[in-house]
Amino acid sequence: MHKFVAIVGTNSDNSTNRKLLQFMQKHFADQATIELVEIKGLPMFNKPEDKQIPAQAQAMAKQIDQADGVIISTPEYDHSAPAALMNALEWLSYYVNPFADKPVMITGASYGSLGTSRAQEHLRQILDSPELRARIMPSSEFFLGHSLQAFDDDGNLVDQTKLAKLEGLFADFQTFVDITKQLNHANAANKQEIHDIDWANR
Amino acid sequence: MKLVGIAGSVADKSYNRLLLKYIAREFKDVVDLDVLDINDVPLFNQSDDQTDSPAVQAISNKILAADGVIIATPEHNHTITASLKSLIEWLSFNIHPMSGKPVMIVGASYYDQGSSRAQLNLRQILESPGVDAIVMPGNEFLLANVKTVFDENDNLKDDRTVSFLKETLGKFTKFVKVINKMNEKEDPGWQSEDLESHGKVETTVEGVDMHAADWVEKAAEKTNAAEGDDYVKLDRGLLTVNQLNYFLNSMPIELTYADANNQFIYYNHFLEAKDMLAARTPGQAGNPMADCHPKRAIPHVQQVIHMLRTGQTDMFRLPVPGMGPDKYVMHYYKAMHDAKGEYKGINELVLDIMPIVQYYLKHTGQMLVKDPDADTDAVSGASTNTKPEKTDAVSGASADTEPEKPAEPEKPDEVSGASANS
Ligand SMILES: Cc1cc2nc3c(=O)[nH]c(=O)nc-3n(C[C@H](O)[C@H](O)[C@H](O)COP(=O)(O)O)c2cc1C
Ligand SMILES: Cc1cc2nc3c(=O)[nH]c(=O)nc-3n(C[C@H](O)[C@H](O)[C@H](O)COP(=O)(O)O)c2cc1C
Repeated sequence: MHKFVAIVGTNSDNSTNRKLLQFMQKHFADQATIELVEIKGLPMFNKPEDKQIPAQAQAMAKQIDQADGVIISTPEYDHSAPAALMNALEWLSYYVNPFADKPVMITGASYGSLGTSRAQEHLRQILDSPELRARIMPSSEFFLGHSLQAFDDDGNLVDQTKLAKLEGLFADFQTFVDITKQLNHANAANKQEIHDIDWANR
Repeated sequence: MKLVGIAGSVADKSYNRLLLKYIAREFKDVVDLDVLDINDVPLFNQSDDQTDSPAVQAISNKILAADGVIIATPEHNHTITASLKSLIEWLSFNIHPMSGKPVMIVGASYYDQGSSRAQLNLRQILESPGVDAIVMPGNEFLLANVKTVFDENDNLKDDRTVSFLKETLGKFTKFVKVINKMNEKEDPGWQSEDLESHGKVETTVEGVDMHAADWVEKAAEKTNAAEGDDYVKLDRGLLTVNQLNYFLNSMPIELTYADANNQFIYYNHFLEAKDMLAARTPGQAGNPMADCHPKRAIPHVQQVIHMLRTGQTDMFRLPVPGMGPDKYVMHYYKAMHDAKGEYKGINELVLDIMPIVQYYLKHTGQMLVKDPDADTDAVSGASTNTKPEKTDAVSGASADTEPEKPAEPEKPDEVSGASANS
């Protein structure tokens, strides 16, 4: 069984993206182990000259390192991913490289009807940058619009069409993770290249 | 032109901040650029609203008061920094100070791309409906390989880069003018000034008759006003109400406060009406401005207020002759604004400047002579053969005012002279 890390893409206390991930954790419990990870509490990224990242970020990096894949669920703020999520990704690309060649599935929930279409585009672009180099599952989108009305009292997805889509994408992701494991010939080189990037200010 | 500069970095050392500081220095003749610090802005959190934190408020107020904004963005992971994004989120959550603001994007990064992808992202973010900024199209100022482009005095080394920056900035100043012109609210005209004070502002005391002679007492009761030895915190200091009164009543100037609703709410009462340069009586405080003006002066008063409210002029000067050759009485009407630049009313200052002039002449060993080239006799004040006018534009406790010629609103600075030629 695959082990996944699911990153809640916001620091907000009552997040529908967290709800979505909690639902997935429960709903797919017999297919995969999903561990939820919070980004709340990380300090603002400030490019520290000592190249040290906070303990919380270190722990996250380790969890991601050990996982078979990562699921990120993002809200949309101002047509893009939230600062809190961008912040976590900045820490996770600063002299660490947990995302290198890591399979990633993106989901998103928003209050409006579009369900984070632009934030997901933005997130893909970030994860694809050379210092993150994640392997994002291609040609797949899961948009949960009107997210405040999307769950019942037990936290289950109400819309059956949406649920079927999510199940399909999750099955695809399992396969994608297996295939990606074989795309590993450049892995060492990739990690080395990221390692050699020197962002610090001297 | 007043601009604010925001560098999207909270790192100790930032080339983007360096770039903005350079622009502020190098082009200070073109723009007045105030480079803001975003270090204290908390990370945005939808469930913990910190819109009212001093850091967010300070930046928001400066943006509101500025003509335009320059943002210098680093590039992290092909996008803008979380610190910059966080600020933008605060400015698009419960407040929207960027709405309609002209913005120029510049950026510096360590490598060849010079923040190109971050700039594109930033453009998209700024144009989302919650932010609603207006980003200058077309121009891209990218500073690549930024570790090598500044000299030891933090100036840009390459002349071509400097001249391109200058050109871009020049375009932006035009862009700012065009956009702000577009944003201008339709001016309803001076006739819209309501001297009967039917409207209200945040500070208007409701339910008390403005015309009443004891308005001050009634309104004080209603608002539980501080008095006597109560302390009042001021910018910058702490006084009791008594101390404030000692202070204001010892000014050698007659001061009047008319609020943004055109209500006369205060004057420093240290003289009886008969001894004042512009007479006021205690019962007048609280009156709508229409109460203290003869009907025929009203259009002129409306025009002056409107010029101050709309910023056509910040200070309107009016010499008011007619008190004999020994006095030269000036009325100054100064617009008051809050930190966001919003109009808060008029501070009217009335004083006789003759003692000041005399003092100056005596102590510098000079005397007044007539200027043969002067086309106005206003200088001497001894215009004995013009009709005495006690034109008192705003306070106007002058029942014998001559009908005023409407002032020329488009030439605010010359209006003062217009009172001498009725
Ligand atoms: C600052 C801010 C900007 C937002 N901008 C967008 C937006 O551009 N598009 C959108 O669909 N929703 C926008 N929203 C509403 C979000 O849909 C909603 O807050 C969030 O996605 C819900 O995610 P959560 O339940 O996980 O917190 C915005 C909300 C905030 C606070
Ligand atoms: C986590 C991280 C990611 C970065 N990603 C990029 C990048 O994608 N493209 C780029 O040109 N520079 C990148 N850089 C280096 C930036 O050029 C540099 O940090 C910044 O833009 C310089 O601006 P500043 O001095 O104002 O902070 C990155 C730096 C850090 C710390």
